[in-house]
Amino acid sequence: MTIQPADFDLAAGLLQWGKAMLSVISIFLGVALVAAVTASGKKGLFTVLDGLIRTVRDFASLSPRRVLAISRLTFKEAVRRKALLVFVVFAVLFMFASWFLTGESHRPGAQMKVYVTFVLTAVSWLVLPVMLLLSCWGLPEDIRLRSLHTVVTKPVRRNEVVLGRILGFSAVGTLILVVMSVTGFVWVQRQVSDETDLTCRVPVYGELSFLDRLGVPTEKGVNVGDIIETRSFIEGGTNATAIWKFPIASQPDELRLESRFEAFRTWKGDMEQTLRVQFSLVNEATGLKVPLPNTVNIAEFSTNEVIVNKTLTYKDNITGKDVTVDVYQDLTTDGTLQIHVQCLDRNQYLGMSQGDFFIRLADRSFATGYFKAVAGIWLLIMLVVILSVTASCFVKGPVASLLVFSLIIIGQFFHPFMAKILNENPEEKLKGGGTFESIYRLVRHMNETTALPEGFLTNTIKAVDGALVNCLWLVQHIIPDLSTFKMAPYVASGFDIPWNGSMLPAIVITLGYVIPCLLIGYFSLSLRELEAK
Amino acid sequence: MNNLTSRQRKTAWFVAILVLLIPVVLLGMPAGNTGSDSGGVLSDLRAEHDLGESKLGQIDPTSATMNLLLLGLRGVAVNVLRMDLDDYKDRKDWAQMQATTEAVITLQPHYIEVWRFLGWNLSYNVSAEWDSVPERYYWVKEGGKFLQRGEKRNNRVPELKWEAGRTWGHKIGRSDEWKQFRRFFVSDPDTKRFKGEGDREINPAGTMDNYLVAKSWFVRSNAAEKEKDQHIMMRELFRSYPAKSQIEYADALQREGKFEGVTVAAWQEAFVDWTTQFGKEEIHTFNDCKIFLEANEDDVAQMARNSKVTESVIKRELVFYQNTSNYLHWRLLCLAEKEEEMGLAHRLLFEGEQLYDQAEHEKARASLLMGLQKFEEILGRDQFRPLRAEDNLVEEIMWGIMLWRQTYLILRLPVPATFPLKELWDQNQGRLPNLQSRFNHL
Repeated sequence: MTIQPADFDLAAGLLQWGKAMLSVISIFLGVALVAAVTASGKKGLFTVLDGLIRTVRDFASLSPRRVLAISRLTFKEAVRRKALLVFVVFAVLFMFASWFLTGESHRPGAQMKVYVTFVLTAVSWLVLPVMLLLSCWGLPEDIRLRSLHTVVTKPVRRNEVVLGRILGFSAVGTLILVVMSVTGFVWVQRQVSDETDLTCRVPVYGELSFLDRLGVPTEKGVNVGDIIETRSFIEGGTNATAIWKFPIASQPDELRLESRFEAFRTWKGDMEQTLRVQFSLVNEATGLKVPLPNTVNIAEFSTNEVIVNKTLTYKDNITGKDVTVDVYQDLTTDGTLQIHVQCLDRNQYLGMSQGDFFIRLADRSFATGYFKAVAGIWLLIMLVVILSVTASCFVKGPVASLLVFSLIIIGQFFHPFMAKILNENPEEKLKGGGTFESIYRLVRHMNETTALPEGFLTNTIKAVDGALVNCLWLVQHIIPDLSTFKMAPYVASGFDIPWNGSMLPAIVITLGYVIPCLLIGYFSLSLRELEAK
Repeated sequence: MNNLTSRQRKTAWFVAILVLLIPVVLLGMPAGNTGSDSGGVLSDLRAEHDLGESKLGQIDPTSATMNLLLLGLRGVAVNVLRMDLDDYKDRKDWAQMQATTEAVITLQPHYIEVWRFLGWNLSYNVSAEWDSVPERYYWVKEGGKFLQRGEKRNNRVPELKWEAGRTWGHKIGRSDEWKQFRRFFVSDPDTKRFKGEGDREINPAGTMDNYLVAKSWFVRSNAAEKEKDQHIMMRELFRSYPAKSQIEYADALQREGKFEGVTVAAWQEAFVDWTTQFGKEEIHTFNDCKIFLEANEDDVAQMARNSKVTESVIKRELVFYQNTSNYLHWRLLCLAEKEEEMGLAHRLLFEGEQLYDQAEHEKARASLLMGLQKFEEILGRDQFRPLRAEDNLVEEIMWGIMLWRQTYLILRLPVPATFPLKELWDQNQGRLPNLQSRFNHL
C-alpha cells in the first residue's frame, strides 16, 4: 500500500454522484411511466403521479419515534438470534493469538505491525460476516414468519421499516465493534514491549522531482533493475539530486525531517558504513543553498530523522565566513520549502519515492490513529448493513447474502483489476483488446500488436467488446471501492490516517449509498408481495 | 429390533458405539509426548514412515486447524500466498513477506522443499537487499532460524539439517561480509538483547565459531542420512561436510590472521576428521563394491576379498571416488597445514602485509622474504610439491611476492632477479591482473 494516498476530490465526487442519481431517477421514472401508461393508458399517468406523491409524503412525514421503535425491535431480535455469541469467538481468538503471533526473533517494530494488523483485521472479519448475515436474513425471516404483518398493519411506513432496520442493525454492529476494538486496543498495549514506541506520525508530504547526474531536470531517476519500480535512484558523487517541495503551513522552532531511503551499491565500498546522504535547503527564488551541517548515514527501510533548527549557520563558499539564516524567512518561497537530497558515495545509488521523505509534525497519540481505523471499519459495517437491508427488501435471505458477499469481494479486491481494464491511458492501456478480440487473436494465433483485418467481423467484435467494457464501467461505478475503508496499514506503520486521502472518501462513499439504498429498499418493500414466503 | 423397548434400543446403540470405539482407539490413538508411550497403529505407522506429527506435543494447532478449515483447498491457498510472497518481495515489504512465509509454512509444514527454498530466500536473497551489514546479518539469521524450525518439525530429514549447516558455515563464512558476519556470530550486533554474546538460538554456546556450529549440523545431517536418504548431492560428497567444515574453520582462522597454536590444532583435527572419519566412511560403489577412501595396500586387499573382486577393481574404484571428492588434495593440505612451520610461514606473510600497510617497508620486506623462504622450504619437500598448484596457497604466495617486490619499487630500488619461489611466480603470471586490482584497492 502507499502511505501517501491521493487527495479525494469532494466536489468532483459530489457532482458525479448527483449526475448518477439524476440519471437513475430519470430512467426509473421513465420506465415506470411507460409501463404504467402501457398497462392502464392515461390512468397509468395518475398512478405514477400518485406513487410519487405518496413517496414524497412518506419521506416528509418520517417519524423518528417509529423508526426508533423498529430499531429497538431489530436490536432485540439480533440479540435473540445470538449475534453476540461472536464475542466468544473473539475472546478465544485473543486468548491464544499471542501464542502464534509472537515470533521470537521478530523485531519490536515489526511485531507491533503484526499485532495491530491482526487486531484490526480480526475485528473487521468477525463483525462483517455477522452483520451481513443478520441484515440479509432479518426482513426475509420476518416475511416468512409473517411477523412483519404485525408491523406493516400498524401506521408504519415502508421507508421507516427500512430505515429502522438499518439503524437497528447498525446499533448492533456498533456495539460489537466498540467492545471488540476497545478490547483489542488494551490487548495491543499489553502485548507491545517497552522498547516499542506506539506512535501516530503526522506527515506532510512534498512534491518530488529529479536532476540527473549532469544536473539537468529529469522526470525520474535511474531504475536499478527493480521489478516493481516504486523508487527512483540518484547516482552518488554526481549532480544527481532529488528535489522535494514541501508546503509550510506553520513555523515551529524545529523541523523534523523523516526519510526512508533505499541503497543500491554497484561495488562493495566501505561495508562497515551505510551510504551517506546530504540534505540542503534551497531558496528557489534567490538560489541560496544551505547544506545541513551533518551528513546522514541511512538506515534502510527504517526511519531516519533529521532535526532542522529554525536558524541555520553555514560557511559561505565565496567569503569563507559563517552565515546564519532563518529557514522560514530566507529559505521559504511562497510558503514552499525546497529540500535537495544527494548521495555522497561515488558509484553508489540512493532510491526514493515521493512518500519516502516528509516533514513530521507533532505526533498524535496511538489511540487517535487506532480509533480512526476503527471508524473506518465502522463505516464499512454501516455500508454492509445498508446494502444488506436493501438487498433483503427484494430478495430472500440466501440470495441477499450471496449478493452482498459478492459486492464485498468485488469491492474489496477487484476494483484495481477493473480500473486496469478500463484504463484509457495509451501507455497503460491493456494491449490485445477486449474479451472477444482476445479470443479471436488466440484462435488466429495473432499477437497483441498485430492489426485486425478490416471488415464486418472486426467491427462486430469491437462493438461487442465496447458494450462489455461499458457494462464493466457501470459495474465499477456502482460497486463501492472498499479498499478505501482499509486503514489498518496506516496505523500498523505508525502513521495517522489522512483525512483527505482516506477518512473523507470512506465517509462520502458510505453516505453516498444511504439515499439510493433507502429509495430502492422503500420501493422494493412497497411493491413486494408480503404474503409470498 | 422393533420388539425392543426404547431403553433396550439405547443400550444396544451404546454397546455398539463402545465396541466400535475399541478399534478406533487402537488404530487412531496418538502417541504421548514423552517418547515412551507408543500410540495406536496409525500413529506407529506415521512415526515409522515419518508421515507427520505422530506425537501429541508436536502438533501445531494453528497449522492443523488451518488445514482442516481449508478442506481440500490447501494447494490453492498456498499458491495465492506464494504469489503474495513474491509480490511483497518485489515491493520490498519485508515484514509482510516474512509473515506470508510463516503462513505458507503453516499450511505446508512437511514440504521440505518449501522450508529449504524459503529459508534460503531469507538468508541469501533478502539479506542482500540491505545496505547495513548488521541488517544483512539479521536476515541471514532469520533464514537459518527458519531452517532450524523446519528441522525441528521434520527431524528425520537430513536435507534441512544440512541446509542449516550450510547457512551457518557457507553463508556466514564465505559472504563478502564474512569478516563482520563471523564476528557477529560470536558477538551479536544487537548488544541490548544478546549482551555481547552470540544469539544462542543459533549459537548454543554463545561463543562458538560459525564453522564449528555448522560442523555440528553436518554431523547431525550425516546421522539422519543413515536412516533416510538425502536428495541434494552425491552421497560421498554429502558425508564429507563435517570434515570440510573443520577445514573451513582452520582456513578461516588463517584468513583472520590467527596462526600456529589454535590454528594448527584446528588443522590437526581437520586431518583427523578427514582421514579417520570421512576417510573411513564405507562407500557402496556403483559396481557393488564396498570401499573406504583412506586405504593402504592391506586395506585394498581386504576390500577386494570382502567385495569378491580383484584388487585392481578396488583400486580403480578408489581412484574414481577419491577424485570425486578431491580426497587426496584435501588430505595433503591438512597434512601440510598442521605443521607448525606452515603456520609460521603464513604468519610471516600476514605480518609482512600488515607492516606494508603501515608503510614499514624495510621490516615488511624482511618478514615477507622470511615467509617466502619458509614456504619454499616446505613446498620443496617431495611430499608437498603437489600443493604448488593449490589455488589459495598459490594466491597467498603470489600476493606475498608482489608486496615484497613493491617494497623495492616504492623505494625506487631494483627488484632482485632471483627470489624464493620465483618458478611459481613465473608460472602464475595469469593471476597478476586480479592481484593488481586487489593491490590498487589497498
